[in-house]
Amino acid sequence: MRSSTPLIEVQNLRTAFAFGSRTVPALHDVSFEASPGRVLGIVGESGSGKSLTARAIMRMLPENASVEAGEARFDGRNLLELDENAMRAIRGAEIAMVFQDPQTALNPVKTVGWQIEEALIVHGAAKAGARSRAIELLSMVGIPEPERRIDEFPHQFSGGMRQRVVIAIAIANSARLIIADEPTTALDVTIQAQVLRLLVDLKQRLGIAVILITHDMGVVAEICDDIVVMYAGRVVERGTVEAVFADPQHPYTRDLLHSMPRIDSERRAELPTIPGATPDLSRLPPGCPFHPRCSLAEDVCRTSVPPLAALPGRPGRLTACHVAQRLGALPPRTAAIEAPVADRQFHDQAPILVVEDLVVEFSRGGLFGRTPPVRAVDHVSLDLRPGETLGLVGESGCGKTSLSRALVGLNPISAGKVEVDGMDVTGFDAAQSAKVREQVQYVFQDPYASLNPRLTIRQILSEALEQRGVARGAREAEAARLLDMVGLDPSYLERYPKAFSGGQRQRIGIARALAVEPRLLICDEPVSALDVSIQAQVINILAELRDRLGLGILFIAHDLSVVRHLSDRVAVMYLGRIVETGPAAEVYARPRHPYTAVLLSSTPRPVPDADAMSRKIVLGGDMPSPRNPPSGCRFRTRCPIGPLYHPDRQICVSDEPALSGAGAQKAACHFPDEAAGLVPSSSP
Amino acid sequence: MTMSQTPVPARRPVLNEGVARYLRALAQPQGLVGCGLLLLLIAAALLAPVVFPGGVDQQSRDSFLPPSPAHPFGTDELGRDIFVRCIYALQVSVSLVIVSVPIAAVAGTLMGLSGAVSRLLGEGFQRLFDIILGFPSLVLGICIVIIIGPGWLSLVVTIVIFSLPQFGRLARGALLSEEGREYVLAARVLGVSKGKIMLRHILPNALDPIFVQVSLSMIAGIFIEAALSIVGLGIQPPTPSLGTLLNVGIRYVYVQPMYTAGPIIMLLLLALAFNLIADALNAQALKTRGE
Repeated sequence: MRSSTPLIEVQNLRTAFAFGSRTVPALHDVSFEASPGRVLGIVGESGSGKSLTARAIMRMLPENASVEAGEARFDGRNLLELDENAMRAIRGAEIAMVFQDPQTALNPVKTVGWQIEEALIVHGAAKAGARSRAIELLSMVGIPEPERRIDEFPHQFSGGMRQRVVIAIAIANSARLIIADEPTTALDVTIQAQVLRLLVDLKQRLGIAVILITHDMGVVAEICDDIVVMYAGRVVERGTVEAVFADPQHPYTRDLLHSMPRIDSERRAELPTIPGATPDLSRLPPGCPFHPRCSLAEDVCRTSVPPLAALPGRPGRLTACHVAQRLGALPPRTAAIEAPVADRQFHDQAPILVVEDLVVEFSRGGLFGRTPPVRAVDHVSLDLRPGETLGLVGESGCGKTSLSRALVGLNPISAGKVEVDGMDVTGFDAAQSAKVREQVQYVFQDPYASLNPRLTIRQILSEALEQRGVARGAREAEAARLLDMVGLDPSYLERYPKAFSGGQRQRIGIARALAVEPRLLICDEPVSALDVSIQAQVINILAELRDRLGLGILFIAHDLSVVRHLSDRVAVMYLGRIVETGPAAEVYARPRHPYTAVLLSSTPRPVPDADAMSRKIVLGGDMPSPRNPPSGCRFRTRCPIGPLYHPDRQICVSDEPALSGAGAQKAACHFPDEAAGLVPSSSP
Repeated sequence: MTMSQTPVPARRPVLNEGVARYLRALAQPQGLVGCGLLLLLIAAALLAPVVFPGGVDQQSRDSFLPPSPAHPFGTDELGRDIFVRCIYALQVSVSLVIVSVPIAAVAGTLMGLSGAVSRLLGEGFQRLFDIILGFPSLVLGICIVIIIGPGWLSLVVTIVIFSLPQFGRLARGALLSEEGREYVLAARVLGVSKGKIMLRHILPNALDPIFVQVSLSMIAGIFIEAALSIVGLGIQPPTPSLGTLLNVGIRYVYVQPMYTAGPIIMLLLLALAFNLIADALNAQALKTRGE
């Protein structure tokens, strides 16, 4: 089913950065091709050179980067040799780009209509017809009421809608190639599903070629036809998505696929990890760049760089691995697959944390009165026992961070009750705060912002140890022990945070939290800012520490796969409320709230499936503002089984459903039995 | 325990790291030129009494001589050497700002950070800064001179009051952005006291812009002195200051252009020195921020 001739062929592309007099090669011999009507996925972690490749093709390299060699043939012309005028005519007209952040890709002081019309007019469209064409484009990308919305400004659109506008601009001039650089990374999963479906739809309807740059193997599996895996500025594997996912022939691809927590498989005690960290482009190891992290590395891998070459007997498959090329295929994985772990029960212990009907409200105020409060968390109850992990899931703005920060006194509590280790701490007075400080600690999301750049690791850990009352002389040994506990070398103590990678910083953050020997750890999206190959390391450390120290963990995340791997129980939040809670295995297997079902269905799975997109339930619209929540059931404005599709179900509009259910699994839905049917039965 | 295998490196000196950063900044070409120029001007001002003994008030019959090797800027209406008087004038100008700007920097920073202790106090100081900024500096100076009487002290008070808002607002801005940083939240969750959070986490990260502002406020202070002295409310003759020199010089601008140009050249050199230092500090601050 390979289609005719490729639209763009990139051959041996090489770029380099100039830092003063030093040049650092960034891309090495990158080659790939994209054909009309197909989606090519370029996958890689941060620093792998995937975005740089796209910018090299668009001739939009950063100022200190330059193309050293290679060609990019688009329609017979080498883009890398065109002059700037010819290139300008191609950009936007024949090749269009969709950027990661829809917030900054649109000009905030111009209407979206103006911006689409501009794209049309600069490429020679008549002014007269531009407006009607812009309306047509908006409706094509699925923006409701385009006649009205064309005169609105970007801030009046939500993130997903803005990304649609960016895509409308990209297809305005019937571009034949769209390069989308992480187009859904900044979006929530339900919105991501909308945008991905739009891209697939455009590919099929308009027959355009799409190059999708992403770090997410799940997204690749769902919408791409071909895949290029990049590592440290090189292409390490190429092929069709089905072939590469079924039988990866480069150790990096294979390890990466194995280290991803899976939403649809059974829970295992430990994730297989890739040791080490992604290499710095300026300090690449000699030979194969992956060899320091590779379990199959041989002597030859340390000295010579493997070329990207076809494997005998596997047409269309290319891999840059000495071992696979010598043996004809990668040897099978030796690591034993661990037995599934059942969800554990913790009823016999006294809970370390009990939250009852917690309400968190925010209001802004100055000299001239206060705004009416926004209820970020609305009557939430939960409990957690030592050694247990509760996963708190929801999209951005659902109140999960507001809730968790209220538990440690960072956010005000408006009503309800928080109990830590049997003591009511709702008031957060001196004694109650002290109790919380010694029992509960917090791991933050952004490893780059959670460590003070001006302090050494020793100072950071000493500050925490001082709070525990460790004597000055004993702090050094204790800090070293903490680093050792999270798998870092104690010789790192004198370094500043900037010397560490994201994964290492997150471990330092965990070590700091553990310094006061808490019994409950609140982890707020601890791995969402990390590269996929690093996530597994951090997840394993959390799981290991939990089991060794008997920690209770409140694990907050938007990624259902990660939550599935770590959690015994889950709670799903929507618009400030918990809509479903229960044992993880039950909730994932048979959700009883449609929102849980939609989240499960929207989460991309790293299993190639041509029909995945069409079988998904894709939610329309966006989460309503918590300032003004809908009456009755809060999910009813987007619910696939609610009054939108069943006008007779007025109970959803009038009555707010309570959390209810016979067993441990409880859902707040009037029609809980219909939710499980929404999840597409996953393919093998 | 596995930790005994790896030797733990010795503790790094803490204070030196911060100081070393600013020294590195000043070692840049811009910083070196700025510092060199400033040191030269200060040295000239301090050494003037030694090099030109009695020269500052030495009158002669040769009024309004054109510039010559003996009198680089010519002579004034009383036959005094304008160049010597300009050098002497630096004493007043530089001593004024070196005393008043650091006072303003410390007070303004504390006022800006006070919001961390009490919301009301912080808000109150910000409104005070608004009021100060609403006053033209000249009007403010006149008010103060009326209260204290003309002279060095009232100039110091004027410069301090006029410089406060810049420091207060910078510190306030840094406080607000630092307060939301995750490492500050982490310290709060650990139960670290407000004072320690301020000293360890907020202040060091707020200092960069404040150091840059110190240099800029020095320039502004020198100009305030000049402005007040021109209208006769600052330093009183016969003591030379850049402002008093300009005050008289303007009257003779057609007869002796150097009478006006001389002090202006000194003003510009000082401004250039402080500006170069500010630029160098700023470049270093941005560099660390980017890491």
